Amino acid sequence: MDKTPYTSVKESITWLLLLTCLIGCDRCQEPNCEGPDCNPTATPYPLEIPPFFPPMDIPADNPLTEEGVHLGRLLFWEKTLSLDESLSCGSCHFPLHGFSDPAQYSTGVTGAQGTRNAMALINLGWATSYFWDGRAITLEEQILQPVAHPDEMALPWTQAISRLQADASEVNYPEQFLKAFGTSTITPELTVKAIAQFLRTLISADSKFDQWRRGETNLTDDEFAGYEMFLREGGDPETTPGGQFGGDCFHCHTEAGLQFSDYLFHNNGLDSSFVSDAGLAGVSGAVLDSGKFKTPTLRNVALSAPYMHDGRFQTLEEVIDHYNSGGVPSSTVDPFMKYTTGGLELSPVQKAQLLAFLHALTDSAFVSAPQFQDPH
Amino acid sequence: MMKYLSSHIEKRNLAPFVWIGLLMVILAGCSRWVWMDNDVPGTFRMDTVLEWEGQPYSLGMETEDHMNHPLRLDNLQMYISEVALRNEQGDWEKGDKVHLLDFNVQNQRILDAFPPGMYNAIRFGMGLPSEINADIDPASYPNDHPLSVVGSAGMFWTWASGYVFVKYEGKYALQAGEQLIEPLSYHCGTDDSFRTVTWELEQSIQIRRQNLTTTELVFDASKVLIGEADSIDIVLDPVTHNSEGTTLGGRLMDLMVDAWTIR
Repeated sequence: MDKTPYTSVKESITWLLLLTCLIGCDRCQEPNCEGPDCNPTATPYPLEIPPFFPPMDIPADNPLTEEGVHLGRLLFWEKTLSLDESLSCGSCHFPLHGFSDPAQYSTGVTGAQGTRNAMALINLGWATSYFWDGRAITLEEQILQPVAHPDEMALPWTQAISRLQADASEVNYPEQFLKAFGTSTITPELTVKAIAQFLRTLISADSKFDQWRRGETNLTDDEFAGYEMFLREGGDPETTPGGQFGGDCFHCHTEAGLQFSDYLFHNNGLDSSFVSDAGLAGVSGAVLDSGKFKTPTLRNVALSAPYMHDGRFQTLEEVIDHYNSGGVPSSTVDPFMKYTTGGLELSPVQKAQLLAFLHALTDSAFVSAPQFQDPH
Repeated sequence: MMKYLSSHIEKRNLAPFVWIGLLMVILAGCSRWVWMDNDVPGTFRMDTVLEWEGQPYSLGMETEDHMNHPLRLDNLQMYISEVALRNEQGDWEKGDKVHLLDFNVQNQRILDAFPPGMYNAIRFGMGLPSEINADIDPASYPNDHPLSVVGSAGMFWTWASGYVFVKYEGKYALQAGEQLIEPLSYHCGTDDSFRTVTWELEQSIQIRRQNLTTTELVFDASKVLIGEADSIDIVLDPVTHNSEGTTLGGRLMDLMVDAWTIR
């Protein structure tokens, strides 16, 4: 069909305007995902950020999708990922224990035990480093390690991938990867990405404390007194400027963002020597990092015994007693543990109030949520 | 005008339209109108240097205070805000950024944008002005912001008291030769602790548009413990967490004002 000059000009202008829009708009090309592993046909996962929580930084090359989260859950609970097919990730991270291990040290497939207590898997999407010593910077990097670790699942990744690729079960992993990532060729990178997606959905935000923050319930007098204790500076104001006779918990277990962790590393006065476990210093190589370990969240802390990086304390009462004592002096003990000569001097009643508050951080709905349980 | 357009269309002379279109594409595609805007700012950067009694110092190094106590600083963090330059008309041009200096990390810098011009004074605030200190939820900031939950790096106190303005932490010993295990922990904050550091410049600095202008600031950490008008005995006063505005915290902040020099 012949075009009139007028039509041609109109078309030209239309095209130019379209081009203008495309170039001028910074966000026109904002992708849902970046990188070769993204599947644009996967369904975006509707992640809800709870009130008072900070935004979650999700890697651009691993956006959450329904298919990816589902696959991650299957893999998290997949015993095929261990040498003798007896352990999954979930075998050491029990939901009812806040996704931690009630054993002091987890036992691997060879019977070997670790040297640290399995950390609770709660609100990991907001963490800035992983493991007690922070040796993994990303969640994906963290997930890579336990599968091949000889004292844990002890399965080389090459074998793990072969098993998943050859899967003939109803799950059909190649098909699951195809749905999640647009390829049925399974790799370690895609496997950890899927598990990371699942772990980022493990959000605990419905404890009694959360409900109180949202104005949905009241704390008991003891819980509230414990909360105030939690937020008060320790020490006698007569001898310690700024002292408020408090529990001094909030410095490390900050309530900012309601994560109850400052994401930093501290030596909290457990030991005076760090030969057996140097903590952060084992990663950084800095002597001044000796005995420093990552601050764990206090969410579901009443469920996640035992406590400390080495699970030395069986009860929260022991933990409170430790902090009340002021801990053990050393050259790297944290300044927050500043009352090394006298402790916090909390009374039995105050300790009980603090304990009541810590129990108010239990999120029963989170630990029993069906979408987090073993699907196999 | 319409006649002009019509004649071009009739003649199938589309060149003007193509050129206009291309111009539109270029203008729309460019988010920074750098060549048209006379007010495009320049960048002013202050590089910080940590010293102890006039000598280069790194956190973790053992040194001595003015009373000969062996001492080691392990942590020094500080919020800097309200950076401003005074122009030749006497008006203060204010930057809009908040900085969290962490001397555990090398090359700490204070960086802000200012209109081009000559400036004869510099000032900045140590700490945070009240309007952004308390009663603001850190979770409302993106995670890379220095006031965010993550970005504040342990400097958030509580909603009521706001942020810790300065952390000055370390260990000391009572006598030479002893192990450094006595804790030194100065946390200064609350609105009353906000201090302003100002320098009148002997020689004006020039900010050029789209250009970087730098200067060097020295923080002598030894001067936090002793100044011309005051001094701190770390054995008597090893701790302050002045969430209630204690006098020790205020004294420390006053000393810190004089710990800064411009080079």
